[in-house]
Amino acid sequence: MAKESTTIDVGEPSTVTKSTSHEKKKGFVAAAAGGGYKRGLAIFDFLLRLAAIGITIGASSVMFTAEETLPFFTQFLQFQAGYDDFPTFQFFVIAIAIVASYLVLSLPFSIVTIVRPLAVVPRLILLISDTVVLTLTTSAAAAAASIVYLAHNGNANTNWLPICQQFGDFCQTASTAVVAASISVVFFVLLIVISAIGLKTH
Amino acid sequence: MKNESTVIDVPAESSSAMKGSAPLIGVARDHTTNGSGGYKRGLSIFDFLLRLAAIIAASVAAGTMFTSDETLPFFTQFLQFEAGYDDLPTFQFFVIAMSMISGYLLLSLPFSVVTIVRPLATAPRLLLLVLDTAAMAFNMAAASSAAAIGYLAHNGNQNTNWLPICQQFGDFCQKTSGAVVSSFVSVVFFIMLVVLSGVALKRH
Repeated sequence: MAKESTTIDVGEPSTVTKSTSHEKKKGFVAAAAGGGYKRGLAIFDFLLRLAAIGITIGASSVMFTAEETLPFFTQFLQFQAGYDDFPTFQFFVIAIAIVASYLVLSLPFSIVTIVRPLAVVPRLILLISDTVVLTLTTSAAAAAASIVYLAHNGNANTNWLPICQQFGDFCQTASTAVVAASISVVFFVLLIVISAIGLKTH
Repeated sequence: MKNESTVIDVPAESSSAMKGSAPLIGVARDHTTNGSGGYKRGLSIFDFLLRLAAIIAASVAAGTMFTSDETLPFFTQFLQFEAGYDDLPTFQFFVIAMSMISGYLLLSLPFSVVTIVRPLATAPRLLLLVLDTAAMAFNMAAASSAAAIGYLAHNGNQNTNWLPICQQFGDFCQKTSGAVVSSFVSVVFFIMLVVLSGVALKRH
């Protein structure tokens, strides 16, 4: 078996250092060519997280303050409506608040992936916890959306009356909160995809 | 910036026998099964089995909701005496969504088989991860919106004068609740699938 000896320069790990040697030796150069590309992904991940924090805090607080009191008296409907009249909306406020605090706590992990683009463990942690939080967000948004749909349209078969006809402002505010939560779901899907691409080997 | 030079012996052929004694040798990235390939192949097999289980859960959910009709034997004054999934748009969405999820899972089985046969290929796994994430979000949306309506059917809402219809339609409510639970089980399977693909993408 013929043996070859070769000399390899091992420089300081930085994204500028790129190996021009044979393909087999690419594995053990400290800064692989994928470092810069992954760092860009990590920065995009961090920015997405900031945007998602803003949107989730907005959604939760908008639903929390969605109250309306009617100025007149109606015979069979209560003349006050608030988020706490609907258990689903209560779940929505609490769940989206939990999601917002998770996002704030995940910012350090995102910064670690920027600083160390080739580290696998932070990205994997972010991927797993983002998946769990995605399900929580989707659940809250979808459940609130179904109640909002019912409030707008009612249901003739079950004799559930559409309350939006009396509580217009409350319905609008609640719908806005649901839309904001749905946008944050899209952000989470993007975050998961970014983490997966960042984990991928080259 | 300090530059260090070192001399490394690179044998002309890399064989799996060299791996244990020379950890600095880069492993050629081809389709031969080495140590990490076997581990990833195990993950792929588990992925395939999870997919089969998720197909069962999703189709059971869709089928149960689809056949949840109930007709009351007596006449009530103010409520309709028939209840079915098509009386509630949210349940219609549930049936359609779970059917689409089952179809997607069936179509993703070949990709899962590809990851078993070629454990080191990253493109199929990445594709499965992205599609599974979207499908999981879709599944969760259907499950939780149906759960919200189911909760309303069981408990009603005093503030809006929405009466709990489960007191009349017991069987209908039971079947729809069972369908929702099965759909949540399918979501759990999806979470495991996504995490599995993420771990398998990671390099060793």
